[in-house]
Amino acid sequence: MIRAIIVAIREVRAYLQDRAELSFSLLLPIAIFALMYGAFGGETLFNGTAYVVNEDQRGLYSISLINRLDEMDNLEVKLLSQSEADTKLKRSDVLLVVYIPENFSAQLSSGKETQIIFRQRGNGGQEGQIVASLVQGAAEKISQEIQVERQVQRALLDKYIDRDHIQTTVQKMLDRERVFPIIGVNEETIGTGINPVHEFLPGIVTMFVLFAITLSARAIVEERKKGTLERLLTTRLGASELFMGKFLSSVSRGLLQTFILLALAYIVFQIFTPVTFIKALIVALFFAAAGSSIGLIIASIVRSEDAASWVATFFTMTMVMISGTFFPIPEDSALYTLSQLSINTHANTAFYTIIAEGGTLSSVAPQLVILAIVAVFGLCLSRILFRAVLGGK
Amino acid sequence: MAEAFLIAKDLHKSFNAYKAVNGVSFTINTGEVFGLLGPNGAGKTTTIRILSTVLKPDHGDVTIGGYSIHDSAGKVRSLIGVCPQELALYQDLSALDNMVFFGRMIGLNGREAHAQAMANLELMGLEERARGKVVNFSGGMKRRVNLAIALMGGPELLFLDEPTVGIDPQSRNNIYETIEGLRNGGMTILYTTHYMEEANRLCERVAIMDGGQIIAMDTPRQLKSRIGPPEQVTLEDVFLKLTGRTLRD
Repeated sequence: MIRAIIVAIREVRAYLQDRAELSFSLLLPIAIFALMYGAFGGETLFNGTAYVVNEDQRGLYSISLINRLDEMDNLEVKLLSQSEADTKLKRSDVLLVVYIPENFSAQLSSGKETQIIFRQRGNGGQEGQIVASLVQGAAEKISQEIQVERQVQRALLDKYIDRDHIQTTVQKMLDRERVFPIIGVNEETIGTGINPVHEFLPGIVTMFVLFAITLSARAIVEERKKGTLERLLTTRLGASELFMGKFLSSVSRGLLQTFILLALAYIVFQIFTPVTFIKALIVALFFAAAGSSIGLIIASIVRSEDAASWVATFFTMTMVMISGTFFPIPEDSALYTLSQLSINTHANTAFYTIIAEGGTLSSVAPQLVILAIVAVFGLCLSRILFRAVLGGK
Repeated sequence: MAEAFLIAKDLHKSFNAYKAVNGVSFTINTGEVFGLLGPNGAGKTTTIRILSTVLKPDHGDVTIGGYSIHDSAGKVRSLIGVCPQELALYQDLSALDNMVFFGRMIGLNGREAHAQAMANLELMGLEERARGKVVNFSGGMKRRVNLAIALMGGPELLFLDEPTVGIDPQSRNNIYETIEGLRNGGMTILYTTHYMEEANRLCERVAIMDGGQIIAMDTPRQLKSRIGPPEQVTLEDVFLKLTGRTLRD
C-alpha cells in the first residue's frame, strides 16, 4: 500500500507542478462560477427595456404612455428613431420594438380608434413578450381612462359645467385611483423560492468530478507510452498497487478541483454551513472514487491516449445525458429507469439532498453505498482487464 | 564449475497466431555478461519481458537466483534491475527524483533511495545535474539516467536492452566503462544490442536469436571460428551469415 501512496503522491506533485494543467484546473471552476454568478447571482426579478419609436412626438397620449412605462420599477424606456429600430431589429440586437404612430394622440382626442404596433423578430423573445404585455397593460389603462372621461363629459353635457373643469376633476380622480387602487394586490411570502444555485450546482459539480474519468482513463496509456509501465512492473510494485496508486491520485485531483468549486460556492453564494460543506465534500469523495474507477476500466482496455480521451468523453456525456443532470426526468418514463444506471443520478441526488435540503449523511447513505460499490467493482474489474503488454497475459 | 544464476527452460510465447518466442532455453552463470543478439522481431524483447516477470510465458519456466518466475515473481524482482530500450523516465521530474521514485518502488526507504541515487548518478557522471529536469537532458544523459535507475537497489542480475542506442561516443564510452566495472564487481548481466562490436567487447557468451528461437550460442571467439579464423572474422559476419541479409521490419 505504501508504494501505491508513493505513486499517488508523485502524480499529484506532478499535477501541482504542471503550471498549465494547474491553472486550467483552477481557472475552470472560477470560470464556471463566474457564469453561474452571472446567471443566478444578481437580481432575479424581471428587468427589461422597452424600445420605443415615437412618431407622435408631441402627442399628449403618446407622452403619457411613455411616462407610464418609464415609471415602472422594472422597465427602462429607450427611444429610437425609425431607422435605428429597423437596423437593431435586422441585426437581432433587439427582438421587439414598440411603434407609436404619428396620429396616435390626434385619433384618440377626436374619439377615434388607433393602434400601437409591436414589431418583433419571431415571438419577440421572453423579455419582449413581458415588455409587450406591460405596454399593452399601460395602453389599456389609458384607453379606459379616456372612456371614463368621455362618459363623464357626456353625462354632464347639459349641466353647464366647464369642460376643462370636468376634465381636470376626472383626471385627479383617475390619478388618485392609480395611487390608491380600489382593488389592491397584497403579496404574502410563505417560504423561500426555488434557489437556482441549489438546482444547478449539483449538476455542475458532478460534471466537474467526471473529469476524473478522463484523467484516470489516460493513466495507464501514458505510462505505457513513456515506457515507465514496464519498468514499474519489474520493481516490487504490483499491478494492483499501481492501479491503487492511479486511483488515489485521480480521486485526490477530482476532490481538489471539487473543493475549489464548492469553496467558491460557499464564498459567493453562501449556500453552505461548515457542516454541509464537509458533507458535500464527502459525497464528492465517493463520486470521485466511482468516476476514477470507471476511468481505470477504460485505461485498462484502450491502446492510445486519443482512444482514452474519446471513450472517457463519450462515457461522461452519456452519464450526464441519461442522468437528467440539467433537465427533469418523469418518474414513470423509460429514461428514468435508464438514469438509475448513471452514477451522476445518485451523486446528483446526494448533492441535492445535502445542499438544497440540508440532509444528513445517513439520508444519502443509499447513494453513497451505490457509488462505493461502483468504485470497488470498477477498481477490481480494471485490474482483471489490465495487460502489461498489449495482447499479452 | 560456474554456477547458473539464470536458467530459462523451453520458453514459448505467442500473440494470437504469432509465435514471438518458440522454445528458448539458455543459462547465464553468476558474474557472466551474456549477450542476446538478433534482428528486429527475433523475440529478444519478448524474452527479456518474460525473464523480468512482465510477461508470463505460455509454456516453460525461468529460475533466477533459485526462484521461479511462476511461484516467486516478487523474489525474482528483488534480484533484478532492468534498463529498458525506451527511455523509461518521467520527463517532468529531475534525475534525482526519478531515481528516488524508482528506488522507493523497489523497496528502499527514502534515505536509502536518496543515497543510492546520488551514488549512481556520480557513477554515471551526472551528479552535478542531479536536480535538473530530465526533459532538459541530452539523449546521452537520459540514457545514463536510464541505466542508473536500473542499478538502484544493487541488483544481482541486470537486464540491459540496447542501452547505447542513439547516443554520442562519450556517453557510450561512459556506459561501456560502467558495464565493465559492474562485470568486474561480479554482477550478472544480460545484454542485448544491435552493435556487434559492443557484444564482442563486453560479452563472454552470446546467443543469436531469429524467428523466436536461439540459432547459435557460444563465446564470440567460438562463433567467429565457425566461419573462419577469429582474427579475420567479425561477429557481424557471423550474425549476417546466420540470420541472412534480408531486410527485417
